[in-house]
Amino acid sequence: MNTAVLALGNRLRRIPISVIVVSIIFLAIVLIAIFAPWLAPADPAKQNLLARLKGPGFELRGVTYWLGTDDLGRDLLSRTMYGAGVSLSVAILSVVVSSLVGVTLGMVAGWFRGKIEIVIMRLVDIMMSIPAILLAVLTVAVLGPGFLKLVLVLGLTRWPRYTRVAYAQTLQVANLPFIKASELAGAGAGRILFHHILPNIAGPLLIVATAEFGLMILMEAGLSFLGLGIQPPAASWGSIMSVGRQYLERAWWIVAFPGVCLFLLVFSVNVLGDWLRDEIDPRSRAR
Amino acid sequence: MSDAPKVLELRDVAVHFGGRGGFLSSPGPVVKAVNGVDLEIGRAETVALVGESGCGKSTLSNTIVGLQAPVSGSVRVSGEEVVGADKKKLNDIRRKVQMIFQDPALSLDPRSTVGATIAEPLIVRGVAKGRELKEHVATLLQQVGLRPEFADRYPHQFSGGQRQRVVIARALALEPDLVICDEPVSALDVSVRAQILNLLVALQKRTGVSYLFVSHDLGVVRHICDRVVVMYLGRFVEMADRDTFFANPKHPYTKALMSAVPEADPVVQRSKERIILGGELPSPANIPSGCAFHTRCPLATEICSKERPELTSRPDGARVACHHA
Repeated sequence: MNTAVLALGNRLRRIPISVIVVSIIFLAIVLIAIFAPWLAPADPAKQNLLARLKGPGFELRGVTYWLGTDDLGRDLLSRTMYGAGVSLSVAILSVVVSSLVGVTLGMVAGWFRGKIEIVIMRLVDIMMSIPAILLAVLTVAVLGPGFLKLVLVLGLTRWPRYTRVAYAQTLQVANLPFIKASELAGAGAGRILFHHILPNIAGPLLIVATAEFGLMILMEAGLSFLGLGIQPPAASWGSIMSVGRQYLERAWWIVAFPGVCLFLLVFSVNVLGDWLRDEIDPRSRAR
Repeated sequence: MSDAPKVLELRDVAVHFGGRGGFLSSPGPVVKAVNGVDLEIGRAETVALVGESGCGKSTLSNTIVGLQAPVSGSVRVSGEEVVGADKKKLNDIRRKVQMIFQDPALSLDPRSTVGATIAEPLIVRGVAKGRELKEHVATLLQQVGLRPEFADRYPHQFSGGQRQRVVIARALALEPDLVICDEPVSALDVSVRAQILNLLVALQKRTGVSYLFVSHDLGVVRHICDRVVVMYLGRFVEMADRDTFFANPKHPYTKALMSAVPEADPVVQRSKERIILGGELPSPANIPSGCAFHTRCPLATEICSKERPELTSRPDGARVACHHA
């Protein structure tokens, strides 16, 4: 027990500063997203037409708008806080959905080969040749907008990249002798895929997932911009920014603050992903 | 030898690949990797399978362990037919045959602890659970000369020789009748080869396991094997007891192989007759007519390209497939 504690201490000490910094940023964003209703200084939907497009630090009747206001005079700080939750949950959930679907299909195609491989990989080609945003627009147009539908649409259109990577990696790992040894030991396909192939292909998949995470936030922004995502007056970073785009010359802050938050979130997720990929590899741990 | 069922009996085994076109591909040539192979291995016997790369050694090993189905012939493990067996039976038979691979760095899952790797066959077959499993793994580690505490470590923390010991422990976990050793020491440092070979011999003495020892290192073969089988392009060309084999190799291909073994004594080495084979190993997709070896054989005459020689017994007990030897 004691050695385990010591080992953990050693590992914590070896975490690079950059990872600690981005973890704090990431955690802060998550906490703000969760506690937005208590932290936000104002109602994010409350309009004040007298305070339209006012800059950061603007005061009106004793109320300070720290990050300024948007085109309807709503408090940008509150909207950004509330928006964090929407952006984060859409991104996380859709990455979970698409990676589950994509990785499963890719490993199945790479392991079983034959007809199922042809079907899955051609399907991937077809999906990749349709512009994702177009497909998403079509699906939302049919199903109608809404948070859950948005997650499903993003998740079910973005799986092919995971499938490609999982498939290629599975093909590679499946030929290694230790997989053959497992087969000889009597392990079934499920055990081999879960215990031996998945851990060995997790690194590249993690990188795809972190890249997709940022993309998902942007896709959500795009769909919200088209009116197909989050419905007003609810805010997401994407929808705040797409509104702000029109006022970029007069009110830079509407785009800038959610934009900086978006950048920080995506950046920290990418750094964390890189670090995590190395950390799940036993070869990179203390020898 | 006794009447007890042989650990392994191969009868006229043939394994071919390809020939069938896929959804978008035209049929390719049929690769005849293994042809008309007969072999018996008795209990606690070690048989060496010798031949150059691409001669069908690996295909034959895969067929024996059941990862590759033969197109014809019969494979019996401890008297049980593997060919055509249903899934459940095949699974039962499979536990009697295990394998040790060439490169220990690739034959252990880098993401699994050594203990988990050795435990896998025991878990999958439901042999042991919980504490019992832990003890079983510890015993296996001790058997191959590793400390039981090593169970929590990962493969990258071991040397090549230690890794190969782990591989051996996993192969022995299910107490198999036959272990196929696919070049088990060729990836190791010369200094640890002897240790691993001695370990294999010691384990055989204790458990009575048989080995099919695939190798092209005749020095190693001489050290460990009871019998030697030489394979060329999917067929056996010579089979003999070890002493007969090394004292009096008969097939011209065997002689060429032997002449390539370096001698420790430079005087002997210089005086040694070197038989250099011309050309490359022909493709198994396009095996030469008659005796497959005639394209490279120094003794070849007309009959060799027309008629395939069968394995025939010689007075000293060796069996050779050659018109001239």
